[in-house]
Amino acid sequence: MHTVVRRLLAAVPLVLVVVSATFFLSLASNVDPAEIILGGNATQEQVDALRTDLGLDRPAFEQYWSWLSGLFQGDLGQSLYTRAEVTDLFTGALPVTLSLAVGGLLIGVILGVGMGVLAATTAGSRTDRGIIMVSTAGQAAPSFFVGMLVIYVFALQLGWFPATGYTSLAESPGGWLRSLVLPSFALGLGVAAALSRQARSSMVIALQRDYTRTALSKGLSRRRVVLKHAARNAASPVVTSVSFQVAQLLGGAIVIERLFALPGLGSLTIDAVLRYDPYIIQAVVLFAVVVVVVVNLLVDLSYTWLNPKVRTA
Amino acid sequence: MSAAAGRSRFVARALRQRGMLVWSGIVLLIALASVCAPLLTDFDPNVGVFGDSMAAPSAEHWLGADRYGRDVLTRVLYGGQVALLAAVEAVAIALALGVPLGLVAGYVSGWFDKIVMRVVDGVMSVPFLVLAIAVIAAIGPGLANAMAVVGVVYAMSVLRLVRGEVLSAKEELYVDGLKVSGVSGPKILFGHILRNIAPPVIVQATLMFATAIVAEATLSYLGLGVPQPTASWGSMLSDAQHTIRENFFFVIPPGVAIFLTVLGVNQIGEGLRDLFSREIAVGRLGLNVVHPAPRGQGEPVVEPGEPDRPVALEVEGLSVSFPHQDAGRVTVVRDVSLRLHRGEVLCLVGESGSGKSVTAMSMLGLVSHPGTVTAASIRIGDDEISGLDFAGMRSIRGNRVGVVFQDPLGSLNPTFTVGNQMREAITAHRDVSRAEADRIAVELFERVGIPRAAERLADYPFQFSGGMAQRVMIAMALSCDPDVLVADEPTTALDVTVQQQVLDLLVSLRDERGMAVLLITHDLGVVAEVADSVAVMYAGQLVETGPVSEVFTRPRHPYTQGLLDSVPRNELATGPLASIPGVVPQPADWPDGCHFADRCPFAVDACGGEPVPLVLLPDRTRGVRCVRSGELDLPGLGDHGPGTEPVREHADSHVEAGRP
Repeated sequence: MHTVVRRLLAAVPLVLVVVSATFFLSLASNVDPAEIILGGNATQEQVDALRTDLGLDRPAFEQYWSWLSGLFQGDLGQSLYTRAEVTDLFTGALPVTLSLAVGGLLIGVILGVGMGVLAATTAGSRTDRGIIMVSTAGQAAPSFFVGMLVIYVFALQLGWFPATGYTSLAESPGGWLRSLVLPSFALGLGVAAALSRQARSSMVIALQRDYTRTALSKGLSRRRVVLKHAARNAASPVVTSVSFQVAQLLGGAIVIERLFALPGLGSLTIDAVLRYDPYIIQAVVLFAVVVVVVVNLLVDLSYTWLNPKVRTA
Repeated sequence: MSAAAGRSRFVARALRQRGMLVWSGIVLLIALASVCAPLLTDFDPNVGVFGDSMAAPSAEHWLGADRYGRDVLTRVLYGGQVALLAAVEAVAIALALGVPLGLVAGYVSGWFDKIVMRVVDGVMSVPFLVLAIAVIAAIGPGLANAMAVVGVVYAMSVLRLVRGEVLSAKEELYVDGLKVSGVSGPKILFGHILRNIAPPVIVQATLMFATAIVAEATLSYLGLGVPQPTASWGSMLSDAQHTIRENFFFVIPPGVAIFLTVLGVNQIGEGLRDLFSREIAVGRLGLNVVHPAPRGQGEPVVEPGEPDRPVALEVEGLSVSFPHQDAGRVTVVRDVSLRLHRGEVLCLVGESGSGKSVTAMSMLGLVSHPGTVTAASIRIGDDEISGLDFAGMRSIRGNRVGVVFQDPLGSLNPTFTVGNQMREAITAHRDVSRAEADRIAVELFERVGIPRAAERLADYPFQFSGGMAQRVMIAMALSCDPDVLVADEPTTALDVTVQQQVLDLLVSLRDERGMAVLLITHDLGVVAEVADSVAVMYAGQLVETGPVSEVFTRPRHPYTQGLLDSVPRNELATGPLASIPGVVPQPADWPDGCHFADRCPFAVDACGGEPVPLVLLPDRTRGVRCVRSGELDLPGLGDHGPGTEPVREHADSHVEAGRP
């Protein structure tokens, strides 16, 4: 347990450096939010007044310090436009993005690992070539193109799922699930494609090892040989690959939320970028870095579980 | 699998390469069409004709016109310019930044490397799209900005790749050699290492090119790339989304354009990668079925043991062949027949490459893909096992035939405790509780001489020494009290001091349980010590079989005699160690006639013609495959006088004495 705490503390500098870099990057920007908010007709006095009001006229370090000290008290700042607390905006958007990301990850992992294992156990066969073809195609199709295709087929033509929009879990669990199926699929397909290739190649290697032959020589079933003996050994690189995919998913969710009009972090981010709302963007970067750090930590912990040599050392 | 299947695999590989050419052609065509867009179309990509709004495909507008009346084909072509330009920019930045920094970081190491890698970790810890968005938010939207960000992010992975390659290239001797010979540092760096790391970097750059196209489309789709109304595949999809309910068709042209281009570039990358690596096929997992061969047409089965004991294992006419690039198909084991009685030890002996391990593995369907196994008959006791499917073979493996492999540490699964692996070997064939299985496992561990048996069940294989791990393997092979124990070079990977103990253990287990042991070895010392009978293999064939006492004292085949000659003996006067000149030829080069003829000191013309049959000697206990076996009088071990038993202290000098 204290390994976890130690590792989390060790990650704090990385997180700080990244979010600080983002902060100064936005300060160095030549975009003036005050000008944008007031529009082209505002006088210089009005702009200056708004800058003072928003605290943008303070020295850079002072702005940074007040933002950073707020950060440690759980205050992520305000939207420069709506004056809404970023924390509140996040609280509203987070469940949407999390639902979508988890859904995409589930589809990606189940589909990807399943296809990869199947391909590996039939390496060189027609099934294998078919799966390779599907995953190659899956990697080449951008998620928003896939998304439009599934919207057309499953929402507009068949009417099985809503084309766009989000129903919260509290509102209707069934509606929540239905509103997530298509977006999760569009988001997860690319993940599945990448994972199936990784799963296939590490599984093929494990199946050629001596311990697999031993397991067969003991008279074990195929299922046991593949899913127990080979899978445990093939898992580490696949888990690593999943962690990369989680980072991809966070980015991909932005696009998918836009496509399916889901009110998540992605939609929040795009709006913030288009009108330049720096605190929201910093909060998104912070969130993304923290997720990546935590996922990497989980992956490292899984190595200890998957590899007894690390555990007992 | 047949010769045809072997060919088809080869053809498949050639096709893959041809596929790469086809894809290169498609990508080139897309690039060319985009570049030449102004020549191919008269429409303005960004200004539409109002009356043509949402026009269906026609002779004028091949792919129709969008809601602003702009020709879709024209926009796809111009969009291609944007995509390709963006991808070139990103990849160029990635290479220009990543390659030199990676080279230097890997080469100088130290604090520079540390700082660079921290930066890489930092950049890579932010999801790429989030980073791009954050930077674009600060420096403003626009394609050049957007792709510069993409390029910097890609540079990180190029840097990591190059650095890793340099580190491993540095390990290689030639860099040291060059340093010694006085070539300057940078020259080594850019000359030799660069040439070595070029292939992976080229593959990486190609794959990055593909993802850069997707990145451009994504950013433009989000409105962060090209400004409206400039045509880009991403912004076209964004437009098409607005009209998806009225006309779905407009999603297709830009989507397919992205898909085809990305797929094509990816295929080129994969093709390039394939050029550097080998194709793998495992076939039907876990069983390489023994196909039937006609019975009674094979060679006679020699009966070296005591005929009144029940037969434990009988093999008739076993052959194994593999597809071969030039020869179509080569037979690596040809028409092998063996008979083994209960309580006997039969040693299958030969040099590496003689086919002895393949023989043993093929009986259990464990020969590696794409080998093809045929046999007239393989019997365990009274039960025919050739032709069994996976389920049928399961009831034989581990149950009636136990197997011990050469490398015990590699043969045990590193991720499970030995107790877990023992338990599943037991419960695979016996209906016992977990506690009962544990009890049996402890008993077996104690029997094979593993101290603190009960505690050690919780240990992982890497916590065992080689000798102890081999005892675990033996215990596992014995867990269901098999009729036959197959031991494939069980002592080869072990220390010399431990080899003796493991052999003693095998013999005492045989005595105690009355099982038959098929022991595969290249060590004649082992044969002399434990075998009742011996089968000598050379180049895929049995050349001599019989009771070990007779074969060793009166060899009838020049190869057997050569092997015996090359064993070190406990005497001073034999002079330099004799050896058989030459090596076992490759299976594709085996002649029709005697396989041993070109290494044989007694070879005559008759050896080279027809295949030489295995001939039974009158008492049926011995067989020999030599046209001159009747006339040759070969010296055996007895002819060297007393005290000439091969000596175990020299057990590490192997049959491979034929090699220099």
